[in-house]
Amino acid sequence: MATAFHYSTVSMLVRTLVGDEMKSFYDYHPFVIFLYFFAVIGLTMFYMQPVLLIISFSASIILALFIDQTAFFKTAKWLVPFMFIAALINPLMTHDGELIILYVNHRPITVEAIVFGFAMSIMLLAVIFWFTSFNKLMSSDKFLYLFGKISPAVALLISVTMRLIPRFIHQITVIAHAQKTIGMDATSGSLWQRLRSLMRIISILISWALENAIETADSMKARGYGLKNRTTFHLFKFDRYDGIVTACISVLFLMQVMMSYLNWTHFDYYPTFTAIELNTPTILVVISYTILVCIPIIIEIQEALKWRSLKSTT
Amino acid sequence: MKKKQLLSLILLFIVIPLILIVGVTLFNDGKYTIISIIVVLIACIPFFLSFERRKPNAREILVIAVMSAISVAGRAAFAWLPGFKPVTAFAAITGFKLGPEAGFLTGAVSAITSNILFGQGPWTPFQMFTWGILGYAAGLLGKTFLMNYKATLIVYGIIAGVLFSLIMDIWTVMSYDGSFNWTRYFAAAGTALPFTFMYALSNVVFLLLMYKPIGDKLERIKVKYGIMQHH
Repeated sequence: MATAFHYSTVSMLVRTLVGDEMKSFYDYHPFVIFLYFFAVIGLTMFYMQPVLLIISFSASIILALFIDQTAFFKTAKWLVPFMFIAALINPLMTHDGELIILYVNHRPITVEAIVFGFAMSIMLLAVIFWFTSFNKLMSSDKFLYLFGKISPAVALLISVTMRLIPRFIHQITVIAHAQKTIGMDATSGSLWQRLRSLMRIISILISWALENAIETADSMKARGYGLKNRTTFHLFKFDRYDGIVTACISVLFLMQVMMSYLNWTHFDYYPTFTAIELNTPTILVVISYTILVCIPIIIEIQEALKWRSLKSTT
Repeated sequence: MKKKQLLSLILLFIVIPLILIVGVTLFNDGKYTIISIIVVLIACIPFFLSFERRKPNAREILVIAVMSAISVAGRAAFAWLPGFKPVTAFAAITGFKLGPEAGFLTGAVSAITSNILFGQGPWTPFQMFTWGILGYAAGLLGKTFLMNYKATLIVYGIIAGVLFSLIMDIWTVMSYDGSFNWTRYFAAAGTALPFTFMYALSNVVFLLLMYKPIGDKLERIKVKYGIMQHH
């Protein structure tokens, strides 16, 4: 959140300086961000072709590094070793494949199974890394804005829930302090006593929360909840840039779908690897896929360059 | 009400198997990861749709939000203890007292909201569906006399924990193989055994501790303000 805030403040500042010329990927319309991640994560899960896997994997790392380095390293630190082990376990579970290295307990260990294990781990890592960027770029207000378009009542339910959590945390300290004064301290005494005090605090919290909920609901109703022609406040504007990027993503995504339909992206690991030929279909697939997954990276680099040139002149 | 339930049943038992069959034949090399995510998301639609359609009043929204918020806060409070999650218990208690729909929504909304806070991932749809359906099942059970006994609460908690683990493991297995494989499934279920145990334990603990105090309060709110009476 902190990075996201910093991010948008900087770009807002830049925008007031140079007009509406610049826009980082964070500031694009929520629909554009969603469409991008929908296409990229979907295709990443779908493609097992090694070249395409590596493209998606590299791009997911580069974008994650652009957006939040600390979050990326925090995820990578425990995930990479885990995925490495998962990859090594695969040949012990699967004995398909033609290139046999050795036999363990009379069962073959094959090159195909080892490579498939690594390919699968890379795919899963790429998906998780894409999600770390998604979580940073799709802040909760954007998520709720989009969700509200599909299902307004459920989106309202989610946003009320999110607002209630900090409220409950505040209220629980208030209750705990009050309970302490009458000798029901949840932080001292035997385990049983503590547990009893804790249960009492939670019980009080729930009574308060439910009664308070009804009050809030009545207040909502009094302010016109559920009436017709009500609008909701948001800051999202779908401008020219959003249109251009949406068109790019849609065209490139549809191209990928069509090329998959034509079997241009097909790759088998078992019984043995499909040969990858360097022909027009392969080149077309690779280039269009690279452009698609790199869209936010291109936007970020452009933005960074403009920001740098701006800094040097003023 | 009956008609809507029929629609949900059709979606659950006809449309989803159809998608599974079409999906499997269309991608015969087995892209089960992506198919399973789509199926799970579609499985959630009838529940959200019927809630949306009947234009819920503000009181109902707020009461479900309170239960979800408490379960999310509880999940955060116990985040240091892997697998120890109060979400199933809260969804179930809501289901027992306020009906299947409220149970489903509490479970599903808890999953979405806690993942907004902790980070979304490919697991979000599965958690949404699993917690939701466990709350829904609790709602159906709550209409019978069965849930007034401690023994049945314990049994529900254990079964729910095992089911949660089994469904989440299906996701793990599919995501790894790209196809479904029984050997790997049993291996995954085996390695997940400590988690299964923790899920079941946390369900039983929270149900036994919370069923009476929260249940009574929900009952009181329901009678006093007349919410969710159509269930």
